[in-house]
Amino acid sequence: MGVPAFFRWLSRKYPSIIVNCVEEKSKECNGVRIPIDTSKPNPNEVEFDNLYLDMNGIIHPCTHPEDKPAPKNEDEMMVAIFEYIDRLFNIVRPRRVLYMAIDGVAPRAKMNQQRSRRFRASKEAVELADEKQRMREDIFQRGGYLPPEEIKERFDSNCITPGTEFMDNLAKCLRYYIADRLTNDPGWRNITVFLSDASVPGEGEHKIMDFIRRQRAQPNHDPNTHHCLCGADADLIMLGLATHEPNFTIIREEFKPNKPRPCALCGQIGHELKDCQGVAREKRGEHDEFADTIPTSEQEFIFLRLSVLREYLERELTMASLPFPFNFERSVDDWVFMCFFVGNDFLPHLPSLEIREGAIDRLVSIYKDVVHKTGGYLTENGFVNLERVELIMQAVGVAEDNIFKKRKDDEENFKKRMKEKKKRLKAEQGPAFLLGGQFAPQALGGRDRPIPVQNARHTAFDMRMEGNRYQQNKNAAESLRATLRNGSKAPAGPSDGMDNRGLKRKAEDSDSEPEPEDNVRLWEDGWKQRYYKNKFDVDETDEEFRKKVVKSYVEGLCWVLRYYYQGCASWKWYFPFHYAPFASDFKDIKDMFKDFEKGTMPFKPLEQLMGVFPAASGNFLPTTWRALMTDPDSSIIDFYPDDFAIDLNGKKYAWQGVALLPFVDERRLRAALTKVYPDLTTEEGRRNSLGSDVVFVGKSHPLCDFIIELYRSESCEGTEIPPELCHGIQGTLNLDEEPILPDKPVESPVPLLRDIPCSSAVGIKFKDPQFEERHVFKAVVLPGAKMPNKVLKPGDWHRSNSGPWKPQLGFNPNRQQVHLDQSAFRTLGHHVNSHQQGSGQHNQPRIGQHVGGQYSNAPPPSVYHQGNYRPPLRKDPPPFQHSRQHGFPRAPPPSHQQQYPRPQRGGHGGHGWDRAMQAQGTAYQHNVQRGHGGQGSYHQQPPRRDDRRPQEGYNSGRGYALPPPTRRYNWSS
Amino acid sequence: MAEGSGGDVSEFLSQNPHLAQWVESLKEHNETNKQWLARREFVLRNREVFPTIRPGTTNHSLDRLLSMSKVWANHVFLGCRYPQPVMDKVNEMAEGITVNEADKCVHKTRGEIVGKGKRPAVSVSDGESCSKKSKTGPSDTDGKAVERNSGRPVAAPVKSGPSPGAPAEHQPFFNRLYKAVAWKLVSAGGFGPNLDHFEILRTCVESCKASVSCVFVPLKDIPDLPAGCTQKEGQVCELRCQTVYMGTGYGRDECAARAMASKEALKIFQGRKVTVKLSRRRFRGQDVEDLVLLDEQPRRSTLPPALSYPFQGDQ
Repeated sequence: MGVPAFFRWLSRKYPSIIVNCVEEKSKECNGVRIPIDTSKPNPNEVEFDNLYLDMNGIIHPCTHPEDKPAPKNEDEMMVAIFEYIDRLFNIVRPRRVLYMAIDGVAPRAKMNQQRSRRFRASKEAVELADEKQRMREDIFQRGGYLPPEEIKERFDSNCITPGTEFMDNLAKCLRYYIADRLTNDPGWRNITVFLSDASVPGEGEHKIMDFIRRQRAQPNHDPNTHHCLCGADADLIMLGLATHEPNFTIIREEFKPNKPRPCALCGQIGHELKDCQGVAREKRGEHDEFADTIPTSEQEFIFLRLSVLREYLERELTMASLPFPFNFERSVDDWVFMCFFVGNDFLPHLPSLEIREGAIDRLVSIYKDVVHKTGGYLTENGFVNLERVELIMQAVGVAEDNIFKKRKDDEENFKKRMKEKKKRLKAEQGPAFLLGGQFAPQALGGRDRPIPVQNARHTAFDMRMEGNRYQQNKNAAESLRATLRNGSKAPAGPSDGMDNRGLKRKAEDSDSEPEPEDNVRLWEDGWKQRYYKNKFDVDETDEEFRKKVVKSYVEGLCWVLRYYYQGCASWKWYFPFHYAPFASDFKDIKDMFKDFEKGTMPFKPLEQLMGVFPAASGNFLPTTWRALMTDPDSSIIDFYPDDFAIDLNGKKYAWQGVALLPFVDERRLRAALTKVYPDLTTEEGRRNSLGSDVVFVGKSHPLCDFIIELYRSESCEGTEIPPELCHGIQGTLNLDEEPILPDKPVESPVPLLRDIPCSSAVGIKFKDPQFEERHVFKAVVLPGAKMPNKVLKPGDWHRSNSGPWKPQLGFNPNRQQVHLDQSAFRTLGHHVNSHQQGSGQHNQPRIGQHVGGQYSNAPPPSVYHQGNYRPPLRKDPPPFQHSRQHGFPRAPPPSHQQQYPRPQRGGHGGHGWDRAMQAQGTAYQHNVQRGHGGQGSYHQQPPRRDDRRPQEGYNSGRGYALPPPTRRYNWSS
Repeated sequence: MAEGSGGDVSEFLSQNPHLAQWVESLKEHNETNKQWLARREFVLRNREVFPTIRPGTTNHSLDRLLSMSKVWANHVFLGCRYPQPVMDKVNEMAEGITVNEADKCVHKTRGEIVGKGKRPAVSVSDGESCSKKSKTGPSDTDGKAVERNSGRPVAAPVKSGPSPGAPAEHQPFFNRLYKAVAWKLVSAGGFGPNLDHFEILRTCVESCKASVSCVFVPLKDIPDLPAGCTQKEGQVCELRCQTVYMGTGYGRDECAARAMASKEALKIFQGRKVTVKLSRRRFRGQDVEDLVLLDEQPRRSTLPPALSYPFQGDQ
């Protein structure tokens, strides 16, 4: 779902769903990179069974990255994609299945979004090239220097659309990649790899869902499979919840806002293209040794635990005293459904529901009110009960008026605040606060004993007020002076700076940028009328038209929910308007929708290209097809405007607005294409055909012999996979025309990479289990599924029973905390001793700098857990001196003491230190124990896992309690 | 839809019921009545152009007609733009159909929105966003004054520019003007803040048998202000003499702006000589070659965007 705000909202509201990934980095030894052995236990202390990759989320950043220079050619792109997959594989380390899904032809409902993205992208690319050219000339004229322009073809990101040569190549390369890894990588040895390339219709994530859904519906499915889905789209969260699998985790890149991007002209970081001066590059490091390092850290990954989200939702959605029994699973489905109102890829969101304004919270509270009246849930297995939805919509409709008014107020307030802030910042020449009270510096070793900080916020406030007063004094003095100068003219007030009334007021201090005019003015009476007039060009009186819009929207809601729970109900359906109706317009919707047209077919890849590409990307199409996009006599020329209007719709930037593109008339498109179909070459014909999923296994996989046997017997019928061979996965196998076979060479499609002389992989076409057309996939937790342990603090937790609550940061509640072994302590002691004279306290933050973690081997939950984290308090801290002696047998000099932060401070600073000291004793014991028995246990291959393994293994019983020795040890202050 | 032609259409259809039914079948599900009526007229008017169209069947020529009608409707109601040949053809076909101004698409095209901000415009918003007042200097006595600013700027892309020989042509005049200014300033007690700069500049220019032209534009109407500059009130004045740009100034009102511009212009004359040069600068979102007067010091900053451009159209 194209709602970036959704993820942000979710991770703020439900912080514990996020777990930072632990990634084992490969090491170099004498210049040789040592590959990571991914067959070793997962350092995240959890074992995943299946990893699903929504490949488009990987292809885009790898082919046209935003934070680093783009790869030079297609080969480099492929290598970048391979590396990215390797990285993910190393983090997740799936044990059963790797499923790669590339977006195929999407349902018609998605086409308008794709169209608008591609039309925009094409325009932006041209603009960027123009601007670059212009800036280049400009800089040269001013005598600047720029690196020579690399001769490379401009990469049109529009080629990442099914049917293009690029996608075809990518599929070939991925086959090679899979064969290579299955042959050479021990972590892949027992993995079943599925590849669903762009020739298989359906969006990537939905192909994955279809796979999961169909596997769940067959009796051999292991209900305790641990799924991990990779992708950044917010709708993956919905999809994951919709599966009702108890163990579902999403992995995605950590979102870091405002990452610096290199200038597109000179490649330097720190300015944007328009400010490029063409000055020589600054040296990085004394001898320019850091020239190629990017100042930002590498993109990190995070896990998003849906099981924890379910815990949160359970708390939020549980309703007592319902007229019918409460069913959590059903209420999750309703929650997912309500999120669609706020935004999805297929429908514009309702004007009154804005995720930033807490729309989902509002919906949930309305839902809880209304559900008493509705007598049941809104949805069942992906089918919508429209009568009940109408009640919700009407409840939203009642609030609509106020929402719009409040939105305007908030906006005004925000502007005002920003203005004030600007003013304040300008006025702030004096100190922003005065250091005083308990934060005032005190001489070390003075007579006053250090006192714990109390009520720090209040002190901070006092200090700020003090600063303000200082500022006011200054202002008052100034105005007094001014009064004296100007005689009787009284100044307007101390806050109104004198310099403001000069003739040459600086342009900056006026407030807003020119804002787009908003004709709809939703905050004023008559908004509905104006909205329909402006957006749809119909009068208030045109009830019929408004009904039509509502009907389409209702169909849309049904379609989307069905899409998420049952698969694509109709390939043809789409929402034929650019805007949504108001919630209050949803009246009498009960009979507005019956069912979708049956038996619709997806477009062929090249047909879809004709539907989503602008004329500027026509080079991806055969010549005669391309001509239809530009020829004035073409019968579909109206699909391809040069430029199109954008309705900012209350937003600020063009990319946020609604692109007013015409819709494609499917009949006319197909009619026009029948004429040019004969012009396709056989190669193009092949690219235009629908393909099949392919499954690959390595030689040591039990399925391998079965497949080889199929090839040997050349059976042309589909054969079912015996469930016992592949962890209960079922499906139909069909022989591949150009298969990858074991002991045969596989040619590398990328010149940079070597051929595989003797692959040990085998590939065969795969088809998901088929069900009869009227089959309904049940949205329930499967029998036999074990719910994972709870992570959130129980509501009825009492300190007295079991001590203070210890929040869980990773997957494993009993995670071994990090310790240093003796040699590490010796090193540390050595460094502390050698540094203490000069730098005193300073060495602490320095040590901490490159170490991420707070006593855990996971990086600190910096962004998402802010404020949420509390270091565990020890009931009974051991005497400080004692533990130190224990830790430093060589007895550091006594003057040491002041260097340690005072333990009372509780928060940062002191913590790592005395923790480490304390941990030392136990760590030693651990080491001893490990020496006896534990040592060998994680060197050996983990026991082959069979299907119905007890679930608790993941969280507790797996016995990887001690970290493998290769791990980074993080600790910090 | 104008009632007049709409009435004709309904009358025509009531006389040809078989056509009425056929043409109604061409209405699209998501089309509003108003848009449909306009498009229906387009279809009916141009039906004859495609003689192979038979009501009740779909064929290639019908699809072409439909396509053209959609191009036209998309342009008028949705704000799409098509390649010029397509537009020409469609406009020709649509001749005679009247659509209320108010019903047309009010949104700006992508190019306009994006071009207005920080990026170079692909298609610059024309007159409507920068209505420009133009005045020549108060003492426009000399007939040789070359400047003529048409009230509404020509929307056509700025193609023509000053000829490469123009700087040399204008140089002798400005050498004379330089001397005149120098003497005038000497008699006024030297360049300083308390002079009436415009008066000095005007008398000097007039003594050289030419005139100063001032163009005033309200600040808010200038399309490509730097992003940081968000002041809205006030006027901006640009001074030219014999099409050569001399200075830009900003002030609360026109007088103040003109004074500021004159001051800037006189600053150029503080150097050892003045030179007329060709220089690139922004004009309504595009880069143009302009004739500018410079002193011999290397310029640090780029020139402010031009407010007028006397090298197009009638030049």
